[in-house]
Amino acid sequence: MSTTTLHLEVITPQRTVLSVQVSDLQFPSLTKGYYGILPAHTPTMTPLNNGVIYFSEGNQKRMATVFGGFAEVRPDRVTILAQDSETQDQINYEEAEVEHQQALKLLQSAFTEDSLREAQARLERARIRMECSAKTPPR
Amino acid sequence: MASFQDIRRRIRSVKNTQQVTKAMKMISAVKLRKSQERLLALRPFAQKMREVSGSIVNRLKGMNNLSNLEHPLVQAFLFPREEKSIHVLLVASDKGLCGGFNANLLKKANQFVETLGSKKVSFDVAGKRSADWARKRQLNVRENYIQIPLQGLERVAAEVSHYAAKAYQEGKIDGLYMIYNHFYSAVNQEPRVVRLFPMELEVVSFDEVAPLLEPDPIIALEALLPKFVETEILAKLIESSASEHGARMAAMDKSTNNAGDVINKLTLTMNKIRQASITNQIIEIVSGANA
Repeated sequence: MSTTTLHLEVITPQRTVLSVQVSDLQFPSLTKGYYGILPAHTPTMTPLNNGVIYFSEGNQKRMATVFGGFAEVRPDRVTILAQDSETQDQINYEEAEVEHQQALKLLQSAFTEDSLREAQARLERARIRMECSAKTPPR
Repeated sequence: MASFQDIRRRIRSVKNTQQVTKAMKMISAVKLRKSQERLLALRPFAQKMREVSGSIVNRLKGMNNLSNLEHPLVQAFLFPREEKSIHVLLVASDKGLCGGFNANLLKKANQFVETLGSKKVSFDVAGKRSADWARKRQLNVRENYIQIPLQGLERVAAEVSHYAAKAYQEGKIDGLYMIYNHFYSAVNQEPRVVRLFPMELEVVSFDEVAPLLEPDPIIALEALLPKFVETEILAKLIESSASEHGARMAAMDKSTNNAGDVINKLTLTMNKIRQASITNQIIEIVSGANA
């Protein structure tokens, strides 16, 4: 058990998205902004907000999206169960941008409560995917 | 006795049947592979989900803060109430030609319904065969899920778990059961009755410190447990689908072999008849020449 790295695993019902050694990790918490996790963190379980996970693999900073996630943190590993997740290189920025435009349009024409909720969900999804696949990381 | 022509016709027809069953076997094999792949992909997720849910429930059992324990979800998993009415998800197939797949399952379902006695029971049925069964027995059916493709199973799982959670909190049902075919291998399935909710989770022991539940135990539980039930249902729906294709593949393989046997027998009879008629003709010619 090394104390300088964590094993990060992101698992969705479709596949195992990530299984890597990381030196630090941040994920969006449901209520409190971002959680920062370093090796030897106290065991924790928490639901995640939809958003972007940031982590450092070696010297390389990487990102992944997470939707409907739940994290289990142990001192030497972090497991994230998510409904859906993609890593940075799996997302096409242009595609996400198009989806974003479509969602915006949909939002303007949404009048029932259901369609509004649907449009908002799609907008959020597109926004997160854009954020994750942007060439210049925001942080 | 059948004539030479008749038998030839029959052989042709059996050959056609054999071709059809062979094709169906091949199709089932492909579908089985797809279902199996899906099952394999889901397995790590379901496994982890079970572990995490188990440790959360475990953790809550260790708490003596009573205000937490009164929450309906906690109640459901920690202190199941007496079952007066239950909800059952019955999963059979849409199509037949899959051996004992549906028959065994429905037999199990019949037995299960008989053991219920005075308990009230409502059903969700997946697959035409289970829908027919429920209609014939005039059972209380909430929803029919017919002709659901493999990708549509997630929606079914979400809907059923959603309904069950709501109905449980409203006091309409005290438990959720599922009757489905468990997948052992391509040729081996077994109908099973399982209780999904409230469920006895295996207790996971922590060697380390008990985990914190952030932001607070109830929110963590509320986020996780519905997903847990949903995942369990989804896994079992996919198992049933894999079982169905496996059963159909085995059944079609058998009929292809049987058709081969029938063709061999018919060919033998046909040859005998042909020989008999040749012998007859020779006798006629010989006796004509002798005369």
